Amino acid sequence: MQVKWRHSLKSGWRYIALAPILLLDGCAGNPYWIFNPKGLMADSDLFYLMVDVAVMGVIVGLTALLVVWFMWRYQKGKNRGAYDPSWSHSNAIEVVVWGIPIIAVGVLSWFAVKGTFEINPYNPTVITKHMKPDDDPVEVDVIATDWQWLFVYPQYHMAVANELVLPARTPVFFRLTSTAVTTTFFIPQLVGMIDVMPGMRTKNALESSHMGSYQGIASDYAGAGTSWMTFKTNILSATDYSQWVRKVQRSPVSMSYAGFNRYADPYINVHHKVVYFSSVQDGLFDHVIDEVMNGKTWPIPPMMTENMVGYLQQQDAEHRD
Amino acid sequence: MLVDLAGGWNPLVGRLAWSQIPYDNPILAPLFVAVVLGALMLLGLITYYGKWTYLWREWLTTVDHKKLGIMYIIIGLVMLFRGFIDGLMIRTQQAWAVGSQSSGVFGALHGYLTPFHFGQIYSAHGLIMILLAATPLLVGFMNIIVPIQIGARDMAYPYLNALGLWLTAAAGALIMISLFIGDFAHNGWFGYAPIFELQYSPGVGVDYWMWTLQLVALGTTLGGINILSTIIKMRAPGMTWGRLPIFVWASLSANVIALTSFPALQVALALVAADRYLGAHFFTAGLGGNLMLYTNLFWIWGHPEVYFVILPAFGMMSEIFPTFSEKPLFGYVTMVLASIAIAGVSWLVWLHHFFTMGAGPYVNSAFSVATMLVGIPTGVKVFNWAFTMYRGRLTFNAAMLWAIGALFLLLIGGLTGMMLAIPAINYMVHNSVFVVAHFHSMLMVIVYAIFASVIYWFPKVFGFKLDEFWAKTMFWLFSAGTALVFVPMYMLGFMGMTRRLDYVFNTAWQPYLLVMELGIVVYMFSVFAFFALLYVSIRDHAKNRVGADAWGTSRSLEWITHSPVPFYNFAVVPQINARDEAAWRRENGLEHIQPDHYDDIHMPNNTGVAIILGGLSFTLGFALTWRIWWLCLLSLIAIIALVIYRSFKGDPGYILTAAELEKMEQEAIRRASRIDGGHHLRPVRGDGWAQERADLPAAGTLYGLSSPMDHHK
Repeated sequence: MQVKWRHSLKSGWRYIALAPILLLDGCAGNPYWIFNPKGLMADSDLFYLMVDVAVMGVIVGLTALLVVWFMWRYQKGKNRGAYDPSWSHSNAIEVVVWGIPIIAVGVLSWFAVKGTFEINPYNPTVITKHMKPDDDPVEVDVIATDWQWLFVYPQYHMAVANELVLPARTPVFFRLTSTAVTTTFFIPQLVGMIDVMPGMRTKNALESSHMGSYQGIASDYAGAGTSWMTFKTNILSATDYSQWVRKVQRSPVSMSYAGFNRYADPYINVHHKVVYFSSVQDGLFDHVIDEVMNGKTWPIPPMMTENMVGYLQQQDAEHRD
Repeated sequence: MLVDLAGGWNPLVGRLAWSQIPYDNPILAPLFVAVVLGALMLLGLITYYGKWTYLWREWLTTVDHKKLGIMYIIIGLVMLFRGFIDGLMIRTQQAWAVGSQSSGVFGALHGYLTPFHFGQIYSAHGLIMILLAATPLLVGFMNIIVPIQIGARDMAYPYLNALGLWLTAAAGALIMISLFIGDFAHNGWFGYAPIFELQYSPGVGVDYWMWTLQLVALGTTLGGINILSTIIKMRAPGMTWGRLPIFVWASLSANVIALTSFPALQVALALVAADRYLGAHFFTAGLGGNLMLYTNLFWIWGHPEVYFVILPAFGMMSEIFPTFSEKPLFGYVTMVLASIAIAGVSWLVWLHHFFTMGAGPYVNSAFSVATMLVGIPTGVKVFNWAFTMYRGRLTFNAAMLWAIGALFLLLIGGLTGMMLAIPAINYMVHNSVFVVAHFHSMLMVIVYAIFASVIYWFPKVFGFKLDEFWAKTMFWLFSAGTALVFVPMYMLGFMGMTRRLDYVFNTAWQPYLLVMELGIVVYMFSVFAFFALLYVSIRDHAKNRVGADAWGTSRSLEWITHSPVPFYNFAVVPQINARDEAAWRRENGLEHIQPDHYDDIHMPNNTGVAIILGGLSFTLGFALTWRIWWLCLLSLIAIIALVIYRSFKGDPGYILTAAELEKMEQEAIRRASRIDGGHHLRPVRGDGWAQERADLPAAGTLYGLSSPMDHHK
């Protein structure tokens, strides 16, 4: 199912700007996910990163040079610069040293506010501004458990555990929550982080510009299984995507509210198991939030994390799906 | 029992059981044996040399601010070492457990640490480094230096000062004992809701974390009250606000933060305790709890705490740059305003620790702009240090090298901090190792400033200089370690590597993780260099003795009294004439002047109450952690009774007579004149020590922008 695409040359300007860092890695692919965005949200993040580094880099770089120059010029015994033992004030310099940071912060503040609205997770104008009325955005309800991801596609009444598949160049809107504890949803090349919290609902969105397979990460510590709580995000063409949807819908496994309660028990996904659920009881997302708000928890057995090998043997013996 | 506890409980020992002692853990068991043997050896040596009385009289019951400060610094250095070992273990696990093919030992699937154990290590690393290494080290320096810099004989409340130290020590002991009895929190030094609730952290780890934090918070709050009162009320005559040494200004602004922010932490933790002990629902996900309330409350303290530790470090740098540039600090008034501005803004930025929470764009924008405002006064400070060097005469000895290192790290930390302040960038690197690299850059500013200060003020406290060669060797090794660890860490952040991974799923990151492992080994060598530095310096101490002005170019008041500083600091309280009093006296040929007569002085008595209260607080913390209710009650009653008893008894203090004082002073002066053959330092009696010198040029004031030196070139 994995579609490999060559990096688009459209973002060539970016490679020039980042050349010093990219050179370190030669041409064997680009491991710098943050510098290699594949969607509108991540593009926008990188733009603000470049603006900020440009402004601050100039100031910090010049300051560093200034300090080095002073260190060289005024070293004792070298007599390169004149020593003035009483000089400790200059109105002109004071104006400059307050003025430069004030101007820089002023400029960057403008960009900061602009960017915050542009990629506001609840209404990212970078996506919504360009949406046409006949666009058919994909909705995904993300439910994080200890320690798996469940992606519910309410439009198709289906769900997938630990794999996110989306059509390219289509707006995707997420609603996110968690069952047990807090973690963060993050796909470095597509969309920035958003916290997922039990009993609460956050939102986010993305629109990919390239097909390919991108890493998704649980980027906030959620307990023993966090490091294995990863998922692949596959961006497919429209045709491949509809084929994939049909494939999921043929899965023999389905998920009810009761089934979800068992699924959400602590599980360390060391084998990166992906499960397709051809049907999901409607309203699961809201149901989970309601349950948690009414006090439902999925406690961790005290000893499960003490001996990883022992626990995994037990987990495998139970044949949980 | 108001809550359901996993595991057993009995009325006598609470949750304690033999199974809680990790004797089967291949890492902890040998360590435990080594610690016990080491402790027995230490106790044996003290007994063999008959030093118990000395230890009790001179150190454990002391209320002398310098000795308390030294003990704070010792605690800080010991905990810094513990935190470093934690760091070494974190780095080793991450360099090893990469990819699904990597091997695993000791019950771990990959690497040598199970996820639960790894979580405990990074949580302890964070808590220790911030609250039990950086904080005690800085509080220690403020304790030692602030009273001498303002011409006071001791802190405003000497007994309270000792209490603060012993509470901090109790906190350190509590976190250390969690290594060998039970376990520690696995959910990060700042804790998360609701993972720290009983359902998700059923063991005692979170309780250890919570009570350790409570104790250190209480100790630091008390210390803050003391330093503020001392600065406001105990200044020598002539020490106007405009003449206050810059480190004192930094301490003042830092402790305003401490006094006002630590209570917020204590309240937040008390609510966590209510959840875990009483079954309340302050921070649970359901039943009306609000988990983000905890995060808000924590960072309402947590961010000001960051500036509580960075401001004294800035103050240290502001003392060291002028001394080794042989010039007054550039823009004193600006520096003072910048410190106060940083302290003020520190209250308005806490939400930037969780921009990804999902707040609306108006909230995030407001906190983003507020955060960037911090960059203004911080930028001003950097420029002012640069212009302090401008037209100076720079000596690059070890203290100056560490200070310059701190300046460069601040530039890097500032650059990356301004990136994190912008939500659009933050979304991409929050919770990544980029953030870890950023705040380590900033905390390294503090570490560099601390080592600069150790070298800078060591001769003042102990009367001899540290060895330059080993101090510089340590600096270069430490800096190489910093570069090797944190440059790859920044790069990994841009690669998308998130923090706190006990198993690294992406093998492309391994080369960088291996370079970081190499860096931590280099750090290890710098630790050895530090031990060598102490050994060589103490061995050669007779050769490196110094007089009052250890560096010959010192500027502030502490350099006019003897080195080492006598327990009464100043035989006669000096009259302050200028902003840089030591430099002013040197300029006017008054540096060898001594008081013309001595008066009786009033000094505080030692007290054993503080250390006993510290011990009882440790007992209370331990009993609460293990839910041994009878012991909680007993230690709490004992604490209250002892505090009441001490408050009725009070301390009348004692009188050091003028004759005794004169004898000690003569001895100190003789000793000082022996150091450079006696021809350089000739004591001169006469006016000038404690009298205002109207005949000499006056000094700058808060509003006068000019330096005192301007008037008499």
